[in-house]
Amino acid sequence: MKTITLKARINSARCIGCGNCAKMCPTLAIFMKGKKAVVDEGRCLACANCHQRCPVEAVTLEKLDKPFTVRAVTRDFEREAVEAMCIKAGFNPGQILCYCTATRAEEVAAAIIQGAETPEEISFRTGLRMGCSVECIQPALRMLEAAGITPTPPEGGWQWYGRTPVLQEISQEVKSKYNHRGFYFDSDIALFAEVVKSERR
Amino acid sequence: MSNPPIIPALPRVSQYGVAPGQVTKRAAELPGMTSVMLAELYPDSPPAIYPGAEDVSVVRKHTVSALKKVNMDMIGPEQSVNICASHHGFTLLGGAPYAEMLRTVRDEIENRTGCRNIRLRAGVGLRFRETEEYIKSFGLDAYFGKGKAKGVAPIDEGIPIETEIGTLYGIKAVYDADWIVHAHNSDVREVHFHRQVDRAVKPFGMSYARIETRSTYHQNLGPRGANFTARAIFASDFVQSKFAFAAFLDMSPVGVIGVDADNDLYALNDRLTIAGCRHYGKIMTLLGEVDECIAVLDFPCPVPYVFAAGVIYANFAGANTDLFDLDMALPAYTWYTEAFYGRNGPLLESIPPVNPAIKMCVHNYAWGGYPSAFFSERIPTLVVGGEQAAVMDRDSQNVEYMAHAMIAKNLDSAMHFAHAASGTDKIIVFDGAAGGINVSTSLAGLLREKAPGVGRRVDGELLPKWLRQRGIDPMTALG
Ligand code: SF4
Ligand code: SF4
Repeated sequence: MKTITLKARINSARCIGCGNCAKMCPTLAIFMKGKKAVVDEGRCLACANCHQRCPVEAVTLEKLDKPFTVRAVTRDFEREAVEAMCIKAGFNPGQILCYCTATRAEEVAAAIIQGAETPEEISFRTGLRMGCSVECIQPALRMLEAAGITPTPPEGGWQWYGRTPVLQEISQEVKSKYNHRGFYFDSDIALFAEVVKSERR
Repeated sequence: MSNPPIIPALPRVSQYGVAPGQVTKRAAELPGMTSVMLAELYPDSPPAIYPGAEDVSVVRKHTVSALKKVNMDMIGPEQSVNICASHHGFTLLGGAPYAEMLRTVRDEIENRTGCRNIRLRAGVGLRFRETEEYIKSFGLDAYFGKGKAKGVAPIDEGIPIETEIGTLYGIKAVYDADWIVHAHNSDVREVHFHRQVDRAVKPFGMSYARIETRSTYHQNLGPRGANFTARAIFASDFVQSKFAFAAFLDMSPVGVIGVDADNDLYALNDRLTIAGCRHYGKIMTLLGEVDECIAVLDFPCPVPYVFAAGVIYANFAGANTDLFDLDMALPAYTWYTEAFYGRNGPLLESIPPVNPAIKMCVHNYAWGGYPSAFFSERIPTLVVGGEQAAVMDRDSQNVEYMAHAMIAKNLDSAMHFAHAASGTDKIIVFDGAAGGINVSTSLAGLLREKAPGVGRRVDGELLPKWLRQRGIDPMTALG
């Protein structure tokens, strides 16, 4: 869940048309029109990526007259499926997946059940990745995988490249080779299992 | 014995915090404040080269000397080198020592190899323009030459890196040279994350890495297993084919104690792991003895990263637990811990509470640019000034920070309220004071009283355990 209070605005006179902002926008809110970037205001959830990386500082963030909140709410009949998807992905439904917006696993699962099929759509419906945009891409991909969906990265974009390994996939060979250096792989696997098993939410 | 307070680190011009002019009073100026020098608490602290009798050029001397034992023969005069740096170094003692080490590493590569295509690639945490600000303020753009010094961010274009555990991703611009030099520092900083495991290697999984990798660290591999992310990347054929050497600003809570450099990053890592556990371990364990206090944030960094005696606020928030003890899975604060707070509280009984000694937090000067609502939600927090509250409100990573904090008109009114509400006269200030720590007289007394016992416990009991857990034999590592 995220409350949106700002929106991105591009100063066209300054924009040099490099396209970087469009390649980084987690909700695909920016498109190039000729040699200029344009924000689809209906999709901007104010993560500030474009503002932070534009090489000529052509982007400003402006205060919204009417802040709004994005969230996906689990409907009663979806509860069981939401729980099952989170657990399959290795998460407790009540745990936080996005540290900036405190978006929880159950909310992401609800968004997927309600039709989100890509990380971009999850972000748009829940606010996940709409803070730093860095730390929660893997949970989004893992949740989609648990739902049987294999998304492809936006063409030509840098939004994300791929799912990476999880702890349970590290081979015994690698664990044996490095464990004495303090990585505690098996103890952390047990910790994850305990969190998933916990009935607390 | 009462020392005057130490002059705190100056506010910095940055888009992530209020303008320096709006920081009208520092906590060190409050009545009844004093300081405790770290060398006084721990006479076995290594001597600092900076701050000290010499200016920052002392760092150049030490860098040149440390690099003498490094082989640079692999670098050809027609080749390119990326000196890879991170924002963290610029937060130490105002940043000048780290900037000087970077300049010197550049000059030594040129002098010794004839290579002229030497670039700076400076990575960041979650403030994507932070190192651009440092590059400008230390004149590194002019020093490295037009277009050669560049701030890089985890959302920039990436490249896949094949590792022993599968594909991870690095920032393309970090690796766009024939050779890379890893220029970092040994300040422990985020012990809640790295737990002093492979500390020297960490930037390969963090400030040099793309979002996919950083998310792997903070979401996929667990609170201790996560530290393998960086080693997996560093050990990859791709990175090994480019890695030339490492140069580290050697830090201790007292300040810069030297420069260490090596072609073997793992050997350097073992040396700094021992020193970090020993010296920072004592201060952190000592801060864990504080029974009650008001913590004042007063440093140009995001909330969790403000420093006191080389320890960051995030670690003080977990000082009720032993952050170096790897048998403890979850510190009171780390992102995995935060993740495991459900809607109705912790998902596991075993999750320790945030340090109950922190009765109140006064946010006199700290930046946004890092998700910090965890702190204001769990520690009663007063933010000084509406401008500072507005900085947090505008920050996409802190939309909820002010939902849990209150605004005080100025530092004096914040302290008055904090004293009245908490009932304690003990104050600890996270203001980057060099060589010591600014505290109230009452807290100074407690630190002096507890320091010797903590020192004995760390040397005799904790340090041997910490090193055993990390597979480090000090005799072998230190030759
Ligand atoms: S969602 Fe983020 S990157 Fe996209 S337009 Fe809005 S602020 Fe810019
Ligand atoms: S990043 Fe800046 S210059 Fe490049 S297209 Fe976007 S607005 Fe234009």
